[in-house]
Amino acid sequence: MVIIEVRNLTKVYGRQVACRDICLSVEEGQIFGFLGPNGAGKSTLVKILLGLVYPTAGEAKVVGCAPQDIKGRRQVGFLPENFRMHGWLKGEELVAFHARLAGLDGRTAKRRAHEVLELVGLAGEGRKQVANYSKGMQQRLGLAAALVGDPRVVFLDEPTSALDPLGRRQVREILLTLREAGKTIFLNSHLLSEVEQVCDRVAIINRGTVVADGRPEELQAGSAKVAIRLDGLTGELVAELRRRDPDLQLEGDRLTLALNGRVEIAALVTRLVAGGCRIYEVTPGHNSLEDIFVHLVKEGELVCG
Amino acid sequence: MRLMALFTFREAWRKKVVLLAGLLTLAFLILYGTGLHFIVGDIAYSTDHAAVSFFEMMEAITLFSMGIYFAGFLVAGLAILAAVGSIAGEIENGTLYPLMARPLSRSDLLLGKYFGLAAMLVTYAAFFFLALAGLIYWQTGLILPGLAPALGLFILKPLVLLSITMLGTTRLPTLGNGVLAFGLYALAVAGGMMEQIGVLMGSPAAVYSGVIASFILPADAVYRMVVATVIDRLPIGSGQDTPFFNPQMILGPFGSQFTPSDWMLVYTFVYIVILLAIAVRTFNRRDI
Ligand SMILES: Nc1ncnc2c1ncn2[C@@H]1O[C@H](COP(=O)(O)OP(=O)(O)OP(=O)(O)O)[C@@H](O)[C@H]1O
Ligand SMILES: [Mg+2]
Repeated sequence: MVIIEVRNLTKVYGRQVACRDICLSVEEGQIFGFLGPNGAGKSTLVKILLGLVYPTAGEAKVVGCAPQDIKGRRQVGFLPENFRMHGWLKGEELVAFHARLAGLDGRTAKRRAHEVLELVGLAGEGRKQVANYSKGMQQRLGLAAALVGDPRVVFLDEPTSALDPLGRRQVREILLTLREAGKTIFLNSHLLSEVEQVCDRVAIINRGTVVADGRPEELQAGSAKVAIRLDGLTGELVAELRRRDPDLQLEGDRLTLALNGRVEIAALVTRLVAGGCRIYEVTPGHNSLEDIFVHLVKEGELVCG
Repeated sequence: MRLMALFTFREAWRKKVVLLAGLLTLAFLILYGTGLHFIVGDIAYSTDHAAVSFFEMMEAITLFSMGIYFAGFLVAGLAILAAVGSIAGEIENGTLYPLMARPLSRSDLLLGKYFGLAAMLVTYAAFFFLALAGLIYWQTGLILPGLAPALGLFILKPLVLLSITMLGTTRLPTLGNGVLAFGLYALAVAGGMMEQIGVLMGSPAAVYSGVIASFILPADAVYRMVVATVIDRLPIGSGQDTPFFNPQMILGPFGSQFTPSDWMLVYTFVYIVILLAIAVRTFNRRDI
């Protein structure tokens, strides 16, 4: 079932186009990664989906409702990007207040607040005044508030930007648990490795336009990279490889080049050995999403600017 | 809306707004009470309260009116400061975003904040008013005539200022809104003063400017209504029914040279409702 649907959405701020003719649809139960460089329009789209910002044109539906519809918002959780929580409350009071707003009664709200605080790793901190929370703790608190109403769809705008590596891993685990429970997650991020690890689907936005949309494997297909540590490479061999990939890089004993798929790795290694090279290490390209990202964004710059 | 109102009330409480305002008010009351004691002490009041003469009574009322006048400044200032950044300021510092995605309509959010602050301000204003009336009774033995309706009018004043500040904060940044609200309030106060002086000196132009000012922001007009309410309810036969004599004259610029019509009261209510409606509309339409 399609749970988030965006049709021809455009948002213009004055003369700045933040989103241009965006079409997307997200299936229920997916983790959807929304990627893009700074200022691409990611946050703007999320704000439109939550009814905080009015689109200039086009329409959006979340859980079958218009974004401003209170009925739809009962099933939605949101972690904004540049937010602060009311500092005069204690952590648990704040989360409980959000639970009350989400429709829980007083006692359930308190219990639920405890649960989510534990989930985000703030179990012992609930009695502290929010004003005294560190940046990462605030972000965890925001995540707790987003999840407290047990929403069907969760919008997370860069949920791990302030977190330590452990916190990032915790968030990834939380996301996977949520998916197991059948929840849908809309994840804005530019941490590609994170997105690569958890997302079922990815869209890339640049300058307000969606430039790629699909499963991570699909996006990665056809552009495998490989890094090889070796010695004994002759100039002749380099010239031959350069014919295959003009962008090949050679730094010290490290050779990086693009292939048309991982299957070509074996053939390449055989060729290098036959040519007299000694091979110490072969690393298949790992950040390929990053490569696609950089590639698409650069391409966008050429076209637009 | 109720949750939001409670939240806002609690916020004002926790942020020590009430405590600080209370301390300041206490200081004001002590100062006022001391002054009152010495002024009243110079005049020999008869111990028999019923025999308080008209002029003695008028003196007590004058002192009370002045107290109320300055108390009005404190209450108005608190109303403006409490509401000045409640929407735009919270957007600026990012505390509104998490709330905005909740199943809470924007009008509920805004009105919840309004009623939360209103509850605090009304309590504060009522306490202040009664404390002043109490001091007057203690020092002069006079129970102010028309105490209850006057109290009702007095608590309208913070509500008027609250509504204009709420409207401002849906659009204007905190500082700009503060400047605007205080500016309008100063205009209303100056206009009201001009109006009274205009009447006393017979200058229609000054009276008109005052009337216009009280239409722009009926804050001073509310004060005049309070005074008029008290004076109009002076007991019969205590001298105010002397022909060609208006007891308001004694109050000078602190008085209300002609009783504001009931329409002013209606206007004030309509004013609050309309301003809130515009505030909701503006807030509903803006991007956050
Ligand atoms: N309120 C606003 N008024 C004017 N322009 C805005 C406003 N909000 C966003 N923009 C512009 O819209 C564009 C998209 O901004 P947005 O915040 O959506 O980017 P983003 O993809 O979330 O970036 P980041 O990764 O830095 O968070 C930017 O060029 C930004 O300057
Ligand atoms: Mg952003």
